[in-house]
Amino acid sequence: MAGGGNNRSRLLLVILLVTSLFLITLDLRGVSVTKNSRNATQSFLAPIQRGVSDLFSPVGNLFSDIKNFGKTKAELRDLKRENAKLRKKVILNKDTTGQLKKLKNVLNLAGRGSYKVVSARVIGKGSSSTFSQTITIDAGSNDGVKKDMTVMGELGLVGVVKSTTSTSAIVLLMNDPTFRIGVRIARSQSIGVLMGEGDNSYTLQLLDPSGSIEKDDVLLSLGSDNNKPFVPGLPVGYVKDVKNTSATLTQEASVRSYSNLGSLGVVSVIVKSSNGGPKDALIPRPTPTPTTTIYVTQSPAPEVSPSPSSKAKN
Amino acid sequence: MSWSRASFSALLLLFFFVIQESAISKINFPISGFSLYLCVLLGLMALEDRFGAIALGFIGGIILDLSPSSDSPFGKWSLILTLVGYLFSRNRESIGDFTERPLAFVLFVSAGATATLLIFLIFGIILGENNGAVLTNLQTVIGNGIWTLLFSSILLPGLVKLREFTLTSRERI
Repeated sequence: MAGGGNNRSRLLLVILLVTSLFLITLDLRGVSVTKNSRNATQSFLAPIQRGVSDLFSPVGNLFSDIKNFGKTKAELRDLKRENAKLRKKVILNKDTTGQLKKLKNVLNLAGRGSYKVVSARVIGKGSSSTFSQTITIDAGSNDGVKKDMTVMGELGLVGVVKSTTSTSAIVLLMNDPTFRIGVRIARSQSIGVLMGEGDNSYTLQLLDPSGSIEKDDVLLSLGSDNNKPFVPGLPVGYVKDVKNTSATLTQEASVRSYSNLGSLGVVSVIVKSSNGGPKDALIPRPTPTPTTTIYVTQSPAPEVSPSPSSKAKN
Repeated sequence: MSWSRASFSALLLLFFFVIQESAISKINFPISGFSLYLCVLLGLMALEDRFGAIALGFIGGIILDLSPSSDSPFGKWSLILTLVGYLFSRNRESIGDFTERPLAFVLFVSAGATATLLIFLIFGIILGENNGAVLTNLQTVIGNGIWTLLFSSILLPGLVKLREFTLTSRERI
């Protein structure tokens, strides 16, 4: 009896493994059935994600907030008291204001670059178990968003549109390991390829072995044919560290992105870019530090009035 | 595994898949994210016999393959979870009934989640996928294992009770 059960299980195992391999082969050969099924799932999930997004937006960073909880007890007590008064008002406003501020910054950057953009809210994040870095936004083909369009945040490049449905789109973030973008170093005009590494660090590989690269060099997107998938001139990141290895033919550097991909609330999809791009107009300028100037002026000496005794002498 | 239980399990998995994709993945967990879906799926698989675990692994894999954020080929998760289902049932037979040993159940599911993600990465390498830096991937695998260990102790007792409803009177004996 047990032997029969084992045979049945083995047969099922073989059938299901072959079916899975068949599905993988179909997908790798580009059969649209598998792709369409994922799009259909996205169409189904997008309204739910949009609804849940409002609910989860304030608790998304709950754990990092908890981590800083015990830092200063007294300060926390005061803040708690103050917070209780304002909580009702603030909870919703805080989220909205944050998103508004981000949207303003994104639109400012887009305006400086003369990009025509469609702004969207981030309504979902790719599951960590898939090992791919993606977000879902609430703008889709109905809003003019198409596959392979550049997505920007308030400080620069965020990623590229991977797929769209009528009301939502999936964006492949620039830190995804499969992400590659051609970049130009603003200072030396050397060009290279930037690669995502899954976390917040990136690797830059210069195409020209004699190209110049220095710490804090600003990287701008090089652009693609017909601006797809990347528009030119968009800030991407800055060089954190130059790797001096004689073993490699090309120069390599560690790069940090301008955009904080962990806290994206609002992003913009660039649907049209000006001819020739913004050149170097979007290079982030260092914010000037305020200097304190102190003027010292001599105050007038008090007049000495003659004393009554001296008057008497006169 | 009866048809009614298979359908119930599939529906339950679909429900948790929607929760995973729309809510859980939005939370920034320290170390790395937590897959509620994998935790539930592995919990259900651990309670089934060999035939049920393999079938459930395949169903769960197909659902996970539908994930729009996934970059891997369709069918990869079903292949991996079918294999995991088989390995699970083989090991489970030597451990015994989990419903009476909650600690072993929790540890088994957490180890299973970690092993599943590791197998996923290894298959990715075989298929020539780029999964990024090894350290980041290890962090994801370990992080997910820790969170599964923490949350499964809360989730799994409920899951066992929920599953009991679907058992036929013969299976209860």
